Amino acid sequence: MTLTPYQVVAPVISLTAVLYAWNLVFRQKKTVWEACFWTVFWCAISAIAIFPQFLTYLSTVTGIANRENAVIFTFLGVLFFMVFYMIIRIEELEQRHAKMVREMALREAGLDSEKLKMKNE
Amino acid sequence: MLVAVIPAYNEATRVSNVVRSAQPFVDTVIVVDDGSTDGTGAVAAAAGARVIRHGENSGAGAATMTGIEAARRMGATSVVTLDADEQHDPADIPKLLEPVKRDEADIVFANRFGQRNRIPAVRRLFNGIGNIVTLLATGRWVQDSQSGYKVFGPRALEQVDLRMRGFEFCTEIVRESVQHKWRVAEVPTKVIYSEYTLAKGQSFGNGVKTAMKILLRSFLR
Repeated sequence: MTLTPYQVVAPVISLTAVLYAWNLVFRQKKTVWEACFWTVFWCAISAIAIFPQFLTYLSTVTGIANRENAVIFTFLGVLFFMVFYMIIRIEELEQRHAKMVREMALREAGLDSEKLKMKNE
Repeated sequence: MLVAVIPAYNEATRVSNVVRSAQPFVDTVIVVDDGSTDGTGAVAAAAGARVIRHGENSGAGAATMTGIEAARRMGATSVVTLDADEQHDPADIPKLLEPVKRDEADIVFANRFGQRNRIPAVRRLFNGIGNIVTLLATGRWVQDSQSGYKVFGPRALEQVDLRMRGFEFCTEIVRESVQHKWRVAEVPTKVIYSEYTLAKGQSFGNGVKTAMKILLRSFLR
């Protein structure tokens, strides 16, 4: 069996991503459960790269049989990712905003962390 | 020092009763007024609570974390969180605190389904769905994961860091318990549902939105 460059690169990237996810678990930034999710996801990417005949089965199941359909589905995937990314960015901004509101509330209540530190010293 | 944290949004008609009935069981009561427009903060202060006011409505999760942070800065060793709508009975606080006192748990979850309570079927269904979503996102089964009635022991109080603003913070607390390997206890408690508390509860649409956020977050983190 001759391997294409993609069939080599995809598993290497997947392996790196899986190692990174488990590294985050050891640094207590991710739970074992979340790392398992990522492991399954990247294993699927590698499996598709190494056994592309799986896509033939997928094509039969989904009905994406020609190039035009594939292009439409690829762009749908890209759009889905963009919306997904924007939702996450908005959520991060909301979290930052809430953090500011919280810190201001604590300061107004006389519970400013820096003031308390100075008082303790 | 044991501190009660009560996040409140437009609960002027209920919050003073909650503050007064919690006071005999704790050293200090903190009410986090989450940008209310009905004078909740003034009512809570008149009842004897220390009030911390959010400049604008930021959600139950953000209000809870503000209260926890305030308690930490005031030197609290344990914190009990409860809702401002009178659905939790503060008389259950000593019972909830027991596992922490015996050094058997770092966090104690109240369990509304652990004893005979009149809970509407639709509320049982929503809670069941919430528990399943929490299990999927965190890998831990908690019998009443969506209850706002909890006790944080010294270790949990030191380590807890909630980032989610809305009702999804309940699931985030379960996630924190997994991440930091807290010892968990669940204690059956009383719950009082009235038309008021049911009307104030989460709608199905809100629940779905919360579930989606939790799953998205846990996958991306």
